Amino acid sequence: MVGQPLLEVQNLKLAFGGHLALADVSFELFPEEILGLIGPNGAGKTSVLNSITMFYHPQEGKISFKGKEITGLRPHQIARIGIARTFQHIELFSGLTVLQNLMVGRHVRMKSGPLASSLFFGKARREEIRHREMVEDIIDLLELEAIRDKLVGSLPYGQRKRVDLGRALAMEPELLLLDEPLAGMNVEEKEDMVRFIMDIFELKKVSVILVEHDMGVVMDIVNRLVVLDFGSKIAEGRPGEIKNNETVIRAYLGSSEA
Amino acid sequence: MAAPQTLPQFFLENCRRYGDRIAMREKDRGVWKRYTWRDYYERVKNLSLFLVKMGLGRGDKVAVIGENTPEIYWTEMAVQAAGGALVGIFSDCNPEEVKFFVNHADATFIFAHDQEQVDKVLEAKDDMPQLKKAVYWDPKGLWNYQDPLLISIEEALALGLSYSEEHPDYFEKLVSDGRADDIAVIIFTSGTTGRPKAAMISQAGLISSARGFSEVDGYGPQDNYLSFVPVAWITEQLLGVAGSILSGFVVNFPESAETVNENIRELGASILFFSPRQWESINRMIQSKILDTSWLKKKVYHFCLPVGLKVADLRLERKNIGTGLKFLHWLSQWLALRNLRDNLGLKFLRVGYTAGSAVSPDILRFFQAVGVNIKQIYGSSEMGLVTAHRDGEIRPETSGRPLPGVEVSLSEEGEILVKNPGMCVGYYKDDQAFARKFRDGWYCSGDYGYIDEEGHLIVVDRMDDLRSLGRGRKFSPQYPEVRLRFSPYIKEVLVVGDEKHNYPCCLVNIDLDNVGRWAETNRIAYTTLADLSQKPEVLELIRKEIWKINKTLPEEARLVKFLNMVKEFDADEAELTRTRKLRRSFLEERYRELIEALYSGQDELEVKTSIEYRDGRKGTMTRRVKICTI
Repeated sequence: MVGQPLLEVQNLKLAFGGHLALADVSFELFPEEILGLIGPNGAGKTSVLNSITMFYHPQEGKISFKGKEITGLRPHQIARIGIARTFQHIELFSGLTVLQNLMVGRHVRMKSGPLASSLFFGKARREEIRHREMVEDIIDLLELEAIRDKLVGSLPYGQRKRVDLGRALAMEPELLLLDEPLAGMNVEEKEDMVRFIMDIFELKKVSVILVEHDMGVVMDIVNRLVVLDFGSKIAEGRPGEIKNNETVIRAYLGSSEA
Repeated sequence: MAAPQTLPQFFLENCRRYGDRIAMREKDRGVWKRYTWRDYYERVKNLSLFLVKMGLGRGDKVAVIGENTPEIYWTEMAVQAAGGALVGIFSDCNPEEVKFFVNHADATFIFAHDQEQVDKVLEAKDDMPQLKKAVYWDPKGLWNYQDPLLISIEEALALGLSYSEEHPDYFEKLVSDGRADDIAVIIFTSGTTGRPKAAMISQAGLISSARGFSEVDGYGPQDNYLSFVPVAWITEQLLGVAGSILSGFVVNFPESAETVNENIRELGASILFFSPRQWESINRMIQSKILDTSWLKKKVYHFCLPVGLKVADLRLERKNIGTGLKFLHWLSQWLALRNLRDNLGLKFLRVGYTAGSAVSPDILRFFQAVGVNIKQIYGSSEMGLVTAHRDGEIRPETSGRPLPGVEVSLSEEGEILVKNPGMCVGYYKDDQAFARKFRDGWYCSGDYGYIDEEGHLIVVDRMDDLRSLGRGRKFSPQYPEVRLRFSPYIKEVLVVGDEKHNYPCCLVNIDLDNVGRWAETNRIAYTTLADLSQKPEVLELIRKEIWKINKTLPEEARLVKFLNMVKEFDADEAELTRTRKLRRSFLEERYRELIEALYSGQDELEVKTSIEYRDGRKGTMTRRVKICTI
């Protein structure tokens, strides 16, 4: 966990016209670490994720990944360098099957050009088989076998979130940004999802930034926490320290489920 | 070499004879992986030598807990090759139960499938000091586990391999030391009454019962069997394990519990075993899909099914089928029935078995009408296989005639008595209880029934479950229960009645999926099972279903009142056994208030039920339950 940070966010400022979404946010993420990003609704957590993936363009500030600056890159370039994310509202292709969606996630790793792929000889074919193997490993890890051939649009919410996670994994990321992966799930689904996240963390050794509201889960699984409120970082530290932090408790205004 | 008398000896013979033929398949990562008899041999040999090296002695027991995978079969052969016995534990047992089974059977090793099962073992490990090793085979989630008790199957096989290189023919010697009276498996009986008992079944017992099966329905190496019934169940031992070793058919393993039906279709399985619940749920699914489908499809189905039923009935009575009907039957097959079978994955099914608790004759007739060769068998962990339907004599009401070598008779009270050379040899550590089961050399099955003119056995109910109504009339609650479950809207039902009252009543668990769908079609809004079950429209729906069955019952056995339960009967709360049989006495005691209310003339009752959540927390739920007259 020590050594060079994997991700450095420095003095991030993001404004939409008059509204300041992020004001001078800075933090670091180290390799093989789960960082929790928490705060009341509207604090700017998703804005941070969107800034990292360059979906939003911060007015000020610098973001570096593995020592190199990535501010100013386009989202597809961010995907190529090893950063993947899940979406709060699940951005999957509802007309495609689970398997197809996961294969789409392999897109960044596909080397064969359009011509080679359409002719599908030798090298392209072997590559496709390798991708399929990788995707099947993910299906096995996330227990998606039974719904492999189902259209994503026909799946219940909890299963779609799992597929979204699988799609992000298919990109073989070094950094995984999870945007409220447990939202809208019942106790059993949450337990399964947490188990998957921990399995992924242990097996693939990815670093994770977890945006989540379920304090019980967050306190349990993260190594460190960054707390936002109204676009500013109000606290940073280990779960034990944050639990008793006055500023944090006040920010949540009595909803201290910690 | 002498003629084989143990399963491992038959196994070696198969490996020599079949070598490169496929013995098993497993669907892994979307692809069907194959194991030849040679592959099977290598793994069994290495696993067996590993166990011996770790201290497994002849007569020792090895427990297994997990979903059906090839590893379980390898383990069983490996253990038996070394002269040990396999103890199967149901995969949904909790750590307390695991501890009980392991300790009662004195198991010194346990094979636990994956993280879920390993966690249970580790939780109870301090109370199971005799365990030498816990072997797992699905490493997902176990990468960081450090416990010295654990070892992966990969490591175990590697250790066994190195041992086999040092002692080249040791495995063959182990196998040849096997005797017919070695205990092969320990099966814990279902425990509907009191704690489960450990029935010990010898090699000879397994082999003779498996032979019985083959004689009724000859199998061969070209047959495909899908293994998903737990090895803790006697049927999987007889049909799956012993059956595959004796007949050489291919054992296929599904990808996961949820994909079983899909896998059956992909394989074109030719031999299957489903419990009556599973056949019921297939039937229920068909019925509910028909309810949901277009007008045209409904009409076609309702035309073809009666034709199928008529033909099945005539065939049973060995009467001639007229040309007109033959044509209609051909048409029905072509229009609907054959596709229905294909859709269910049963197109290549040569024989489908059912057993375990009473089956509604309507279910048997239904599947025969659709063209599925479904047969009843009767037996138990203790008795082995007793009766089975032969081709051409599949009468829906009966369980068939006794197998060759098996004798069946009735006691004065109507209890079924059995003499079977293939039966179990005793209860482990409980000789007294076992001796109590015998009277004049006959084994008392505990089941009530009778034998008809053609020698077919009809099993009515457990002796202990028979109830008397007022005026001393005996009645069997299972009889109407089984028929009521034929309705797609009724998932589970408990029929009650005793001498204090003159008529039976029932407590119904509605089928949430099907009733929910019905409610949606009829624009009835609902939230939970508790809410849906008390809606007046739903009560009326269930009332009509019960009324339909009532008509077929003799007058004194007709149900008079019923109520819909606000929560389902649950095995985790010990209301059902792990094989989903009702634990009648327990339920009658637990819901005494409800039962009294049924007879008291009240219209409704406020109930507080205590619930146990999956993670062990407890809660209570208060609800008003309505009582209705049929």
